[in-house]
Amino acid sequence: MLSYKFDWSVITSGQYHEWLISGLKVTIQLSISGILLSFLLGLIVAVMRMSHLKLFRWSACVFLEFTRNTPLLVQIFFWYFGSYKLLPTAVNEWLNNTGFEFAAALIALTIYTSAFIAEDIRSGVLSIPKEQMEAAQSSGFSYIRSMQYIILPQAVRITIPPLVNQFLNLAKNSSLAMTIGVMELTYQARQVESYTFKGFEAFTAATVVYLAISVIITFLVDQYNERVLQIHKGA
Amino acid sequence: MIQFTNVNKWFNTLHVLNNINLQVKQGEVIVVCGPSGSGKSTLIRTINQLEPINDGKLIVDGKDLSDKSTDINKLRAEIGFVFQQFNLYPHLSVISNITLAPIKLRGLSKKDAEEQAMQLLTRVGLAEKRDVYPSQLSGGQQQRVAITRGLAMKPRIMLFDEPTSALDPEMIGEVLAVMQDLAKSGMTMVVVTHEMGFAREVAHRVVFMDAGTVLEEAPPEEFFCNPQTDRAKQFLNQLLTPMHGATCN
Repeated sequence: MLSYKFDWSVITSGQYHEWLISGLKVTIQLSISGILLSFLLGLIVAVMRMSHLKLFRWSACVFLEFTRNTPLLVQIFFWYFGSYKLLPTAVNEWLNNTGFEFAAALIALTIYTSAFIAEDIRSGVLSIPKEQMEAAQSSGFSYIRSMQYIILPQAVRITIPPLVNQFLNLAKNSSLAMTIGVMELTYQARQVESYTFKGFEAFTAATVVYLAISVIITFLVDQYNERVLQIHKGA
Repeated sequence: MIQFTNVNKWFNTLHVLNNINLQVKQGEVIVVCGPSGSGKSTLIRTINQLEPINDGKLIVDGKDLSDKSTDINKLRAEIGFVFQQFNLYPHLSVISNITLAPIKLRGLSKKDAEEQAMQLLTRVGLAEKRDVYPSQLSGGQQQRVAITRGLAMKPRIMLFDEPTSALDPEMIGEVLAVMQDLAKSGMTMVVVTHEMGFAREVAHRVVFMDAGTVLEEAPPEEFFCNPQTDRAKQFLNQLLTPMHGATCN
């Protein structure tokens, strides 16, 4: 016989419920800011990677190789345990008092994800006919302005499906932030488990919530995608 | 307005422009024709530096294109370019296609730019299409929007690279009518085209190219009725509709 007694009330109400909710809030904060920042950084890196200027192209390549080819966990540890050693003591103290864990996790997630986003956007840009760039430049737009107004808006639309994958990865990868003490959803589920020994309930709750986050992100991007792309079908 | 002096261009070992000397004066309409691969598209694309030249001197609107201090983006804003494949921006509506450059590069307010765009759209007969997207237009309509997009920058020169070659026959007329109207308004135009009827009617001079060189350069009457080279005679004979010969004595 199964000796384990399920007790879902642990996670549906009371103190432990509060813990999980506060963890969810942190996960959402981390995911949304990570998605926005990594998209922005990804755009910049993609444009640099395609620039005519060797210096830009070269530094973008180095950035991409470093970030894509090292484990995210190592990067999180680097920013949390490593980076602050380069800063003055006063700044260090200030950081320690203002929740540096969250910032370090956000920086690591943003940088890591932006590398993948940059490559997705770059392949989107390469799929735009070169005549679009010619049309833009013959109107007098510089390379950067042509990218900004004509090429990237088209490329990003094409890139939306792979971008959704990167956004989902970021939301799921945010669970690694628990390793440096960010009190996000996985961290709190772990806490609930150690206080109550209700590991099944706690992690079932976490699983369901992650699933819900992913479904919502996919739904939102799909909606946006459909609204914007509908008009251009057959272009 | 445009001055080619001993201009040469190579694609690797292919000599696409061979010692070109050509002058286009303000208000002139020049038609460039010739067999495919003769370098006429390359020639017109050098004028706004979509193709840089390798050798010689090219002066456009008083600016030397080989001079490093020439602001090419500024110069391009003064030159309208119409492509064979229209190349409208598919993610923007007709009105936004036209107003994008005037707003971003000329600093026009959205209202002023749209007002001006509507005047031009009315002139080409497409005022009611302001809010549709390029994919919802026919080829002829797209090309008329593309011409409008060029004109919205109030250019000093308009370049046309085979503007009717991608169109169904019944749509060619509507585009040529717009171009004819433009020529009569005194615009400086360089047109690469196979439309000899157009050349005959509005061109001041016809330039015939073959294998990267300018073989003939003459007023349309002279070129069509009395071509000097065998290559030009052969080319004119191969055109299926000998409209150009209609009024030769």
